[in-house]
Amino acid sequence: MLRYTGNRLQQSVVLLFLASVVCFTLVVSSPGNVAVLIAELRGMIGSPGYVEQIEQEIGLNKPLLIRYADWLGNVIQGDFGISYRTGHDVNADIMNRITVTGMLVAGGAVVATVASLVLGFIGAFWPGGITDRAVRGFALVGASTPTFFVGALVIFMFAVILNLVPAVGFNGLKSWILPWITVAVLPAAVLSRVVRVGLEEAMASPYVLTAKSKGLSRFRIMFRDALPNITPIYINALGTQIGLMTAAAIIVEPLFAWQGMGDYFLNGVRFRDFMVVQACLLLFLTFFIVVNLVVDLTVMATDPRIRRQRSGA
Amino acid sequence: MKRRMFLQRSTAVIGASALGGLYPGILSAQAHENTLRIAISKAAGDLDLLKHYAIWAVQDLMFEPLVKYGKGGEIEPCLATDWSLEDGGTTLKLTLREGVTFQDGTPFDAAACKWNLERWMGTEKFEWMSCSKNFESVEMVDDYHVNIHFKAPVISLLQELSYTRPSRFVSPNAVDEEGNQVEPIGTGPWRQVSASEAENVFERYDGYWGEKPSYERLEAKVIPESRSRVAALRSGELDVIGGFWIAPLSPIEAKQLEDAGFTISVDPGNVTLVMGFNPDRSEALRDNRVRRAISLGVDREAVGKAFYHGYARPAGSLFSDVLPLSGQQFEAPARDVAAASALLEEAGWTGGPIRSKEGKPLSIEMVISPDAVPGLRIMSEVMQAQLKEIGIDIVIHSVDHATKHTEMLERKYDIGFFLTYGAPFDPFGTIVGLFLSTFKNDVEGKLYTDAEHLDPLINAAIDAKPEDTEAELQKFYDWLHDNDAIAPLLFVPGIWAHSDRVAGFTGPATEYDMPYENITLKA
Repeated sequence: MLRYTGNRLQQSVVLLFLASVVCFTLVVSSPGNVAVLIAELRGMIGSPGYVEQIEQEIGLNKPLLIRYADWLGNVIQGDFGISYRTGHDVNADIMNRITVTGMLVAGGAVVATVASLVLGFIGAFWPGGITDRAVRGFALVGASTPTFFVGALVIFMFAVILNLVPAVGFNGLKSWILPWITVAVLPAAVLSRVVRVGLEEAMASPYVLTAKSKGLSRFRIMFRDALPNITPIYINALGTQIGLMTAAAIIVEPLFAWQGMGDYFLNGVRFRDFMVVQACLLLFLTFFIVVNLVVDLTVMATDPRIRRQRSGA
Repeated sequence: MKRRMFLQRSTAVIGASALGGLYPGILSAQAHENTLRIAISKAAGDLDLLKHYAIWAVQDLMFEPLVKYGKGGEIEPCLATDWSLEDGGTTLKLTLREGVTFQDGTPFDAAACKWNLERWMGTEKFEWMSCSKNFESVEMVDDYHVNIHFKAPVISLLQELSYTRPSRFVSPNAVDEEGNQVEPIGTGPWRQVSASEAENVFERYDGYWGEKPSYERLEAKVIPESRSRVAALRSGELDVIGGFWIAPLSPIEAKQLEDAGFTISVDPGNVTLVMGFNPDRSEALRDNRVRRAISLGVDREAVGKAFYHGYARPAGSLFSDVLPLSGQQFEAPARDVAAASALLEEAGWTGGPIRSKEGKPLSIEMVISPDAVPGLRIMSEVMQAQLKEIGIDIVIHSVDHATKHTEMLERKYDIGFFLTYGAPFDPFGTIVGLFLSTFKNDVEGKLYTDAEHLDPLINAAIDAKPEDTEAELQKFYDWLHDNDAIAPLLFVPGIWAHSDRVAGFTGPATEYDMPYENITLKA
């Protein structure tokens, strides 16, 4: 297991480097001159020569390779630089914002996990019944509804019409409920199908027949025997969904006026704020890699078949 | 620990956390009684007056100028009670208001005034302002009289002195030895209590020299999404949203709020949406008959209704009459398909459904950026359909805000859209920035230039004596009109919405000011 972890970490470093090159290429090749945007932001529309001055100030006049090397050298030392748009230290901005996104993704993951387990279990417990059909309907609608629409809908229902929770802001549990629901609807829909189908397959296994012949109740068999058997598939799917939830933060955070990493990244892209975009992309990618690694290790820990297979390899 | 006890304790912890989360909500509802909550679309940023990051409207709450830009361009007293221009316009004599103190107790007097002005006037960084470029010296006459000497008469001097930055005044004790503003301390009616990426909170400065706000606190809440601002207003979390630069409210959202019983305040608007032609790229557009046909082919009323729901006025002139020196108002051309078609025929563009000349179809690329002008996509599609009726094929090329700047600077468009700078910069801001060929504009590009005909008219207006400025400017406006050099479309309105908690709301004089004045809050 240790050797496997070591190999995965080595691959991750190579992947991160390649990703940083791709990010840099994408950012520098996108149309639009950040110096012009800075001049506009600073209200220097009528200042001849100001754009060249800014280009010099932020090093845009240097060759691309030098710019990349400068940036990479600083990143290795843990310095993400200064935001072109705000003049703030990117590291400090990230420290302020990462907990907001962490809160969004963690809360969303908990909501999605609980909802998917309950819904999937109910669907599998009464297969073909009205409950199963309702859960299937939720999964279909939930998986095909865009996140921004879900957000607008829950804001309108629970904040505007019912006035139960705030529409925007990051002030305690009450204000976290809607963003968590918004970010969790799609993963909950997908994961509920994973649970439903997984349980259905598991319930057709010989060990279930044995348990039934021993007189155990259907609930007990599903809960104690079938559910643990679908853990590896579920964890794999959950890992993917957590990654997608991080990407959904780009939509959800501005909608609820949360100043997190998603909002930061979006502003960076709009403004061609190279420092911010690069830092965010690297962090997102690191997060994906870590989540995948954790998922693999958890799956190995929970499923001896996979552990034997990978240790053998 | 037994399983049951564990479950009981964890339930208690979760319950207490939930209540802890709900409690601030209950508390905040009570605390809002004497607080105006207003939306801003992005974080206020570094409020240093000599830096360029902050939202102007937030700085406006704390910092005051010598003179204020009032409605209709009226220059009103603020920290200066009286002023006169002498020595052929090269000396500005100012009488300062007595009894004014900065929010930290430092008196505002001639010394503080001179210290502030010398921080930026005459520096290279602020050469873009005529008063800074022509600055010579500041002379303290006594504690409340100051003379500013210039090398040459300064065009729009009082307007420049009303700008939010760098012209406004900060306490000398709020700036460190290196010249960095460490605290936002001005003489204005609001003092900042806290600032974060999510909101800036202000309390009323009770030592303010002028009329104090009737409520004690003001919260500027950062909500980037327009729909979320609307929802927050509807759910009672905000009191005021809107303003072109502060927290834009789209006309359709305003209409929905109006239908839901909210009060909408629409200012006539001092910014104009103008269609610009690029004759260097499109041969057809070199002919002013084609430009005139396009102008006549567009139904400004319909375009305005399609997106602005009747909130915007059709424009016939470069500037709205709410701006000073805006000249004679030309009537917005009514759509006339027959006249437009006749002009195209006369110019040699014939046939259909798309006209052609010497085998080349009349196809024109229209570059739009809905990021820069919200709703431009809908408006351009309406125009595309209208111009097709007169035989012009409009190809819409939609780009994001960053790309738009590059395309405009490199003149990669046949038809592009420009916004005039608005108050307090106009008329000369736009005229020099977008029309004078010798003035390099690296940000917006040029709306129209003609070194031979237009530059002399602009220079004559700049150099004219104050009593002749209006007449000289009119020659410039007439030339644009007679040559169909541009096609003004709409005067972009300033749209605000507020809840019924707010009484006495009036839109600000410029799109860069915060509309806190005259407001009273109902209990």
